[in-house]
Order: sequence, then structure tokens, then C-alpha cells
Amino acid sequence: MAADPEESVVQIINYAQGPNWVEPWRFSRVGSGLGSGFVIKGKRIMTNAHVVSWSKQLIVHRYQDPKPYRATVEFIGHDCDLAILKVEDTAFFEGIEPLQIGELPAARSSVTTYGYPAGGRQISYTRGVISRIEMQRYAHIYNRSLLTVQTDAAINPGNSGGPAIQDDKVVGVSFQGKPGLENAGFFIPPNIIKHFLKDIEDGKYHGFPDAGISLVKLTNPAFRASLDLPNNSVGARIDRILQPFPKTHELLRVNDVILEVSGQEVGSDGMILYAGNRVHCSVLFDEAQHGEPIALKLWRAGEAIERELPIYVNRADRISGNQHKDPPYLIVGGLVFTELSMNYLASLGRNWGENVSSRTYYELFFRSQQSEELARAKPVVLSKILKHPSNVDFGVPTREVVTTVNDQAIDSMADLKAALRKNTDDFHRFRFLSGTEEALHIADARAADAMLLKQYNIPTAERLELLND
Amino acid sequence: MIKSYFTLTFVLIASFGLTQAHAFDPEASVVEIEITKKTYDYRMPWVSRNHQIHKNGILVGQNQILTTADGFSGQYLCRITKGGESRQYIAQIKWIDFYANIAMLDLNEPAFWQDMKPVTLAEKIPQSGDLQIYRWRSGRIEERAAEIIRLYHGTNKMSFLQHLKLTASSEITGAGWAEVVFDEAQLVGLTESASKDNRINILPAPFIASVIERNQKADNPGLGTFDFRWMNTKNPALLKSKGLNMPSRGVVVTEVGPRRLADNTLKSGDLILAIDGFEIDSEGKYLDPDYGRLSIAGLATRAHSAKDNIPMTIWRDQAEQSIAYTLPRTQFSKSLIPSEHYDAPPHYLVAGGLLFQPLNGPLMRALGENRPILLDYYSDRPPLEGREGIVLLSTVLPDDYNRGYEDISYTMIDQINGQTIHKLEDVESALAQPEAGFHHIQFMPDEGIHQIVLDSTEMPDATKRILQHYRIPAASSL
Repeated sequence: MAADPEESVVQIINYAQGPNWVEPWRFSRVGSGLGSGFVIKGKRIMTNAHVVSWSKQLIVHRYQDPKPYRATVEFIGHDCDLAILKVEDTAFFEGIEPLQIGELPAARSSVTTYGYPAGGRQISYTRGVISRIEMQRYAHIYNRSLLTVQTDAAINPGNSGGPAIQDDKVVGVSFQGKPGLENAGFFIPPNIIKHFLKDIEDGKYHGFPDAGISLVKLTNPAFRASLDLPNNSVGARIDRILQPFPKTHELLRVNDVILEVSGQEVGSDGMILYAGNRVHCSVLFDEAQHGEPIALKLWRAGEAIERELPIYVNRADRISGNQHKDPPYLIVGGLVFTELSMNYLASLGRNWGENVSSRTYYELFFRSQQSEELARAKPVVLSKILKHPSNVDFGVPTREVVTTVNDQAIDSMADLKAALRKNTDDFHRFRFLSGTEEALHIADARAADAMLLKQYNIPTAERLELLND
Repeated sequence: MIKSYFTLTFVLIASFGLTQAHAFDPEASVVEIEITKKTYDYRMPWVSRNHQIHKNGILVGQNQILTTADGFSGQYLCRITKGGESRQYIAQIKWIDFYANIAMLDLNEPAFWQDMKPVTLAEKIPQSGDLQIYRWRSGRIEERAAEIIRLYHGTNKMSFLQHLKLTASSEITGAGWAEVVFDEAQLVGLTESASKDNRINILPAPFIASVIERNQKADNPGLGTFDFRWMNTKNPALLKSKGLNMPSRGVVVTEVGPRRLADNTLKSGDLILAIDGFEIDSEGKYLDPDYGRLSIAGLATRAHSAKDNIPMTIWRDQAEQSIAYTLPRTQFSKSLIPSEHYDAPPHYLVAGGLLFQPLNGPLMRALGENRPILLDYYSDRPPLEGREGIVLLSTVLPDDYNRGYEDISYTMIDQINGQTIHKLEDVESALAQPEAGFHHIQFMPDEGIHQIVLDSTEMPDATKRILQHYRIPAASSL
């Protein structure tokens, strides 16, 4: 008989320090967060990515063992909110039976969650039924939906990363709740966990690939008739092919109707029957690894055709959502430039939308969807002006996106750095999205930076590693 | 308190048969105006409601009752009471200028004019000191004190017109409805709005006088607007980078023609050094001979009408140049998304249960804070070349005909049946030209959904059925 699952469940304490997105050389005060995890084969601990994000020091505790062990992050998948930790002290794993990953549980079946939620120090168990299984947005980076299992077992802060157990096997990783919903907790199902584990087999985490299509329901009889499709409940329409996704552009067309994915019939609402649940057909795309093909049966120009569509993780410079790498920055004459990102906007406060122009918002969320020509790889924003006599009258407010510097288009931090070498006289000239322009005297700017870096204890005038490199 | 104005009053209309006023008697000059009007719900544009507004007016001459235009949009009955009496006289609108927020009323019952005394408008207004505010309340004149805060060039409450404005502090509550503001015996202005912190915004008499004068002309050229945006140049490096070694001068043009009224002569990046002979400082202020330092925003209305050529001195291409800026007439309709739509019911078209509406300011405001961010972007973005306006698919009234599209709302139309849609009439004409039995509706490329298709032969019957089902009186208001 297998050991009690709780012996494989660990408590994680994360001493974390996140960056300041407006003054990117600064970091927050160290805070401690509590989470849960569980031991899987290969002397690894599985937990949520959000439990171990921005970690400076990770401590794990075995079940009913006071000894703290130091852990490190071996792999982290922010898109699926999963992470693998390792513990150098092999004594940690002695006597612990690794938990096995089971199969997707059936709706209405019972599960027990294990974890170390807030409200006490000991392990806590909750039992509930599987309420439903469908695609939900993963809150950690908040840019995509993956399969999620909803349960009425209580999942509270601290439960994150703990296992949901059925028949002694892991059928989910507790990871999020939903504001406004009572008796509803969510966990990451086995297919996502297994995808993550398979992905890291080659020693690198790539992520969940994306087909780059916008699929919409095709229930209107006239639209179906215009495509010579029978008026039944089969097939959803490709309304748009996103950027960049070159292979998708090559193989698929707008108004192709997806009839089948991986041999499974797609309903006119875009759903398939997946282990007895009606789920959006993108769940099947999420089963492919980076670069693997998906078999599609399409309806195009009045006939059914088949295509093998290889799908890839989205290009790094097109991934929106929360980032988890230190933001790049560049200081020139006391002007602090950084990348426009979801984190940057969110750091402006709860009502950030009121403080950011619709043009800026458009740059981040809309422009790059249109075409490669229109896209700005990573818009650069003026996040702060460190006041100095040489810039105190700079007439452009912060939060503005910079469009050109010294007449060079700025689509990324690298562009900005290059453009600052393209001055033709004693001035750097800046133009911003609102049409405003400003200039700095280069010699004055250099003197200002020397003084400001010292005055504000800024270690270096720039940090330009690209996000998601 | 010493007043810093230094001119005499003048009588605007010299020849009327009424008794000239020397001392101001509010009971003989101030009237109460009751407006009965239709208002609309832009989210259900076929629904109109009844609404009544009470405001104030003042006699400024024979058959001339001056008030603000605010509240007159949609009016169909205007009644006036005088002297606190209960008798109401039906008034007519002589003219109304929604851009300037000024209306002139007339009344053709001789009994009304009996014992009434017109007032004079101040030619110039004080810049400090105390004022008196008058209005009728429950049959009695209410007089409240106000203290001038400042004179400035600001934006009109009813439009984007910029002109001289006066702000004062007063304990009066519920003001902003053309309460009359006096300095002893001369009319200083009419209240335009009031804020919770006791600030009263006043349309000043010199501005009102200039609007009255224009409206009395047969060929009123209208008021003009500077259709460009500009920024301060306080940073000396900016001026030096343009080759101008002179601090504290001029403003830089950042956008030309945002309202699509004029894109003449100026270019982005130009440094404006002088307008109309007035030197401009680096904060966009000039020294007004009457009122001191004011923003250049008001120079379009200070001494000019639309179509005037205003001389400007600019710095462009490392050299000073003289240009003439042809002042465009202030018009809402030229903008991609007109900010206002006064005195007309909202336009709409229902076809197959799809509600189409032109995108404009009242619709944006009706949608409130939860409107799609893309609509805000389109109203602020640089003008879309070649597109006169934007039409929205506002909502879909669910029916078997439009099944599958029920969730689409407030989405901007690009084309219908291959025809670019600028205005509502284009929707009508495009729907008259289906493609092989279908209507293809294409949305703007940045919208969440790109296209839908409808059956063209079934559309007329579906429209009829949906109109009846949802109790919509007419398929369109164009």
C-alpha cells in the first residue's frame, strides 16, 4: 500500500523581492510568502510558479519535520503556473514516496486537497467534488487560458502548489480562486502537468505553443451557407490569424472552418467533447509541444481538406501579460526609460487606466496584433524623470511612449540604446506618441547622470537584458 | 475692495424704446425661463423622454432676452415669467449658438415688455473684487455675493471653443443656469457652470457681446478655433536644439488638424513665436492689453472670426518666418468622432436586428466608463485619413436571423459588402447591394471580431419582425 500522501506534501516559504517597474534599479522590501508543493519522482518538488516567483531564498519543510531545507528553482513555467524545485541536501527526500500524476478526474468525483494554507501551521486537508472542467484564464501572467478544474474544496492562500489527490494519485495542483465566487477553487489538471514535465525533459522549458488563430463560433445559418457549409452543428470559423505565426499564415486562411482537431469533431461553438466535458478545442492544441504538428480537418472553398499545422511558442517579443524578469532600463540625462509592460501599467496603481492614455494602451495591447509592419516590438516608455537642473523643465510627462530618438524609430530598448549614438550635434532629440518633442544637451545629460546615479544609489545607468530572452 | 477695471460701460443696442437703465433693478430685468424638451437615451436611440429645465435670462434690448444655450437642445416649449408673477409667456428662440453657449430669445406679447428694463453689458470686466449674482427663486429675487478668482482663457462648457472666461467664488447653490452676474449696474456675465467647491464659471460680457454682434450679421462667419496642439518650451535645450538661442519664447506645435478643421500652414515641430502681433512666452501665454497674461488658446476668439487670416511668426528650418493662419470655423461635424450632437435626435439604423449608430460624444458618454477602450483610442488617435466618420454596430437585438452574433456590441464597422462605411447613410446604401445573397459586414482591423455574414433576402422580413418584437417605432432615424 502507498504511503500517506501528506508525507510527500511540503511547505514552501519564499523570501521574495520583486522589481520596481517605474524605477527598475530598485527592488521591493523582502517579503515572505507561504505555499505548498509535493514530491514527484526524480527527487523534485512540484509547485506553482507564482509560489516561487521573484525568489531570493526558498525554504522547504517536510511533513512534521522542523528542519528547514534550502531549495532552488530548477524549472519554471509562468504560462502554466508550474515550477520544479530541487533540494541539494539529498536527506530531504529520504523516506518520501514520490507522488504519481494520475488522469483527469471525472466531474462529480471526489478529491482531497493537501497543503499549508494560511490560518495555521499544520498541514490542512479539504475534500470536495469536481464541479466542472473547462478553459480558464491563468491569473499568474494573465494572458492565456488553459484547461482548469473547478472544485468546491476550499483552496486558500498557502494552498497554492499543493496536490489534489484522488486514489492516491495527483489529479491537480491547487492554484487559484476567483473573486466573487464562493466555494470554488481551481486546480491545474494532469494534462497540463504532464505537458510541463515532458517539455522539460530536454533540460529547457519552452512553454505552451500557440496556433495564433482567433476561432469564433459559426452558428449563424447565413454565414454557414455563404461558406457552402451544411447547416449543422459542426465547425468553428477562423476569424483572424494573429501575428507573427508565419507557419499558420502559410497553412491556414481567414474563414477556414475547423471541422476536426486531432481527429476530434469540433462543434459550431468551437467546443469538443474532452473526457466527457465540453471544452474549447484549444485544449487539443495545448497537448502539442513546441514545434509539434496538430492534425486539422478544415473546410475551405466548399470542400474538406486536411492540414498538419506545426505550432510554436509565441515569439518572445509578442508575449503579453505579466513578466517575471527584471525589467530593462536606460537612464539618459535623468530620463528613465523602460519597457511598456503589463507589470509597468499595473504598478501605477489600481486605477492605472485613468493615468495612461488610450494611445499608450493601444501600443501594448492592440498594435502588435495588426501586422508585422505596424508592430512595435516592445514599446519604450518614459517611466521617470530624476530631476536635475538640466532636465527640470523637460516638457513631456512620464508614462509617454517614445517613438523616435535622434530621428531613429524606437521599437525596443536596443533601438533606444543605438539611437542615442546617432546624434548629429550636441543634442539628443526625443519624440513621443502624443506628438510632443523634447531635447537634452548631451554634455549636460552626461553630467546629470554622473550626479544622479550617485545621488540615488543607482548601480548602473542601464540594464538591457531583453525580457523573455 | 478696489476694482481693477478701468473702462466705462456701453449700451449694446442704442435704439430701443424702453426706459434706459441707470441703476440696476433685477426685478425689471431678470426673467425665469422654463424649457420643456425631449431627451434621448443613446443606448436606445428610438426612446425619447420628457424633461424640464428652469434657468435664467436677462433683457439686453427690445425683443432680446439673453441666456445661455445650455439646456435648449431638444426644446419644443419655452416659457418665461417676469417679476416673480405666475403668468407665463411663450418665448421664441431668435438665434442660438451652441458653440458659444449663448441664446437670444424673443417674445411677441407687448404686455411682457411693459415696465421691463434692459441692461447694459460691461465692455470690460474687473479682474478682482466682488460681484453680485441674481436669479429668481419662488417668486422672489435672490441676490448672492461672489468674489472674483481670476480671468483666463478656457474651454466653453458646450464645445471646444476657447475664449475669455471668468471664475468666481460664491456660496450660491445649484448655480450654472445663466444666473446673471453684475458689477453694480453692468452685466458682467452669465453663469455657465458651478462646481462643488463654490466655484462659479462665468461667460464674460465682452465674449457675449462679440457673439451677439456676429449673430446680428447676415453672413455670420462664426467663431474660429486653432486646430493644432502645442506644448511648452520651458526646457532651454529644446529651443537650442532647434537653433534658437533664446530662452522663454514660443510654443512647439505637436499636432496639426486633430479636429480636421484645418491643416493649413503650420507643421508639427514649428515653434510659434508670435500670434496676431503678440509675443508668445514658453508657457503659451501672451500679454493681453486688457487683461494681462493669458493663454494663446483664446487668441482665436479674442478679436477674430472664422476665415480670418491671423498673422503668426514661427521658427522653422532654423529661420524665422511669417505665415498667415486661416482660422477655421468651429464645427463638430468635421471631426472623425463629433464631440457633440445638439438639437437633433440621435441617428440610428436597425437592420436585421443589428443596431447601427454613428460614433459621437453623446454616445460615448452614454456608454460611461465601461465603454470599450478602442473607442477612446479612436477618439484620440491621429485623424484617420480618408474616413469621414465611424459607424458602430452598437448592439444586436437577438432573433433567429442574427443567431450567433448576440454578443457583439459597440464594435466599429469598416466595410459592408465591400463599401467603406463613413456614415449611417453608407450602411443603408451598402445593404442595398448584397453580394450573392449575403451581407458581409467587416469590422475595423483592430476589433476583437473581424466579420459576420447575414442573409440578404431574409433581412427585410427579419427587420420588420424585430422592430415589432422589440417595440421600435421606426427602422431608422437618419
